[in-house]
Amino acid sequence: MNNRQARMFAIAGTGLSVLIFLGLTLHSHSKFDELTNAENITPQVTHGKDVWHKYNCINCHTLFGEGAYYAPDLTKITQHRGAAYLQAYMRDPSKFYDENKHRRLMPKQNLSEEEITDLIAFLDWVSKVDNQGWPPRPILVTGGFIPGSDSVGAVASGEGTAAAAIRPVTAADDPRAQGEHVFRTATPACNACHSTAPGANMAGPTLAGIASRAAELVESDLYKGNAKDVEDYIRESIVSPSIHLIPGDMYSANGTSFMPTGYEETLTAEQLDNLVAYLATFK
Amino acid sequence: MQYKSQSVAYWYFAVAMTLFGLQLVFGLLSAAKYLGPDPLLYILPFDVTKVIHTNLLIVWVLTGFMGATYWMVPDESRTELHSTKLAYVQLILWTLMGVTAVIGYLFRYGTGNKLLEQPLPHKIVIVICMLIFLYNISMTIKKSGRFTTTEGVLLLGLFSSAVLFLPALLHYENYTVSIFYRWWTIHLWVEGVWMMIMAAFMAYLLIRLSGADREVMEKWLYVIVGLVFIAGILGTAHHYYWVGVPSYWLPIGGFFSALEPAALVAMSIYAYGAIRRAGLGHPNKLALHWTIGSALFTLFGAGLLGLAHTWPSVNKWTHGTLITAMHGHAAFYGAYVMIVLAMITYAAPSLTRNRPEGGSSLGYWAFWMQITGMFGMTLSFATAGIGQVYLERIMGMGYLDAQLKIQVHFLMLIATASIFTIGVALFIYDFFRYAPRFISDDEPQLNVVDARSNA
Repeated sequence: MNNRQARMFAIAGTGLSVLIFLGLTLHSHSKFDELTNAENITPQVTHGKDVWHKYNCINCHTLFGEGAYYAPDLTKITQHRGAAYLQAYMRDPSKFYDENKHRRLMPKQNLSEEEITDLIAFLDWVSKVDNQGWPPRPILVTGGFIPGSDSVGAVASGEGTAAAAIRPVTAADDPRAQGEHVFRTATPACNACHSTAPGANMAGPTLAGIASRAAELVESDLYKGNAKDVEDYIRESIVSPSIHLIPGDMYSANGTSFMPTGYEETLTAEQLDNLVAYLATFK
Repeated sequence: MQYKSQSVAYWYFAVAMTLFGLQLVFGLLSAAKYLGPDPLLYILPFDVTKVIHTNLLIVWVLTGFMGATYWMVPDESRTELHSTKLAYVQLILWTLMGVTAVIGYLFRYGTGNKLLEQPLPHKIVIVICMLIFLYNISMTIKKSGRFTTTEGVLLLGLFSSAVLFLPALLHYENYTVSIFYRWWTIHLWVEGVWMMIMAAFMAYLLIRLSGADREVMEKWLYVIVGLVFIAGILGTAHHYYWVGVPSYWLPIGGFFSALEPAALVAMSIYAYGAIRRAGLGHPNKLALHWTIGSALFTLFGAGLLGLAHTWPSVNKWTHGTLITAMHGHAAFYGAYVMIVLAMITYAAPSLTRNRPEGGSSLGYWAFWMQITGMFGMTLSFATAGIGQVYLERIMGMGYLDAQLKIQVHFLMLIATASIFTIGVALFIYDFFRYAPRFISDDEPQLNVVDARSNA
């Protein structure tokens, strides 16, 4: 190959690549609206996007896996957690996470209520974009598909039997934060049989998405209990698990749920309220 | 130094070195936050240190490119620069832009759009600086009437960089569309036109340092540029996998980004071949270290480590983890940091007084400590990233819990980053310890080996 041929190779190769790339770009433009549900980009979503930019969120978090790797991916966060919880979290993250436990914490951003609401609307739009089903397995903030994986190291590090990542709480904390503490410390242990990971059913069904499922269930004919709303349903299934049975041989036999009873005695009324409030955050 | 006006390069390099030092301060701060808890949580949170870390990188590398261009073009075209005054005006404007942008970031004044955080007024100044720069260089070449292939590739790379910055000035309502065009700037810079700039510098250095035949070098330069673009342009698709665009970008991204290492392999072979057949023993062996080092480290960081996670079925698990940080650090360092340091090392003996032509032992310490440190950092990010992928993405452990399990790799990161920082500090000290020559300087030139007999 001589100099001239090499130059031709460079020019022709580049030219062809540019042409193909531009052609595909044009075609992609005809698909963007459909793939991203552009009709749902309301002024609220747009404002939420501005909030996302204004507070430099992308330099800690990722969205569609793009950004910084210092904080969890938020692509599907609104499908995992309800808006009320996210709203409370954004007001003050330290109410839900402990920097000494996880070694990092999101600083309080001092957002207005409207900014938070719109940011959640934006994140909800993001969560519905057709992005080839990524992530292939839900990315969780805490907890996990494998029971106990978040408690390894507690004993070795001399912190007693409490799981390493359990945030200590006081009565002044957000009820949902206190409820998470109950979930991880109650006896019999809730998280021995229930995960909060989507699709990860163990001895008991996953509690991920319980709020959405409960909302549908209490309205349906299949429901046999007495609850009228999500919170009532969750409370009922903790206190009297056999009133409405989740189908499946692994969960019940002869009309009796395998879930232990007696929580109304081992937990105080307030603990129970908090536990219900916590579980109701799983959208 | 053949031409007096080349001395403007010194001031570009001086600014670049200062900002490089500052970049590492913010890099180390960011790394320390991975260990936590963070005493600066409300003074200098991670998002601020990280945005400054990445932006300083872009600014100082571009400053280095500009300085190196102002050094190289007079040499290639055998003439003085069109205007040194314009070059200084450009440098002052550019530095002011960079410094005020960083100060702004301290107060969260930025667009919050990854790597394009510069506020609009700053972006406009960037464009103005680019225009001054391109004008000055083009006029220099036009005046001389001598236009080499190496220069042509360099100029086309710089010109395309300016053009590709334009999509970054626009506003997109749809977040997905905004991502789509963000990569036109970022990806097509670093895996496209910046590679042209790098390849041109490399050709220049190899011709000067090894006395390689210009005809042969320039032929290879075309081949490399062709390979870079054939793979790099459609390789943009590897940023489009999971962001809400049509699915045909997946196979296209996989195929073409798998081809991307081809250009880097060619570049390494070409660099190695040039020194093997070297007909000339240029005394500046340190600059040769940086040049060959750049080719090899690029092959490792950009080629091999990029290939490691570019295939869609792999990337769907590794996307958005520390695996990306692994690839990013090694690739950017090898391709752009090292080539700028090579140009600085090549030009420094002429730009400063009394500097030994062959480089000092301090210079070699700087080289080896940086290489060792960056290799260690890459391995730290790699081990942390592999841990993260298996724990968080495959096993499904919560993000925060998984991060706790990989703490030891962050310790290793900080240790190796410290070695790297010492290497950089030595380089910066070695650069500044000899006083610059000024344009008005009329003392005799250093006895530089003239490689132009070969040119």
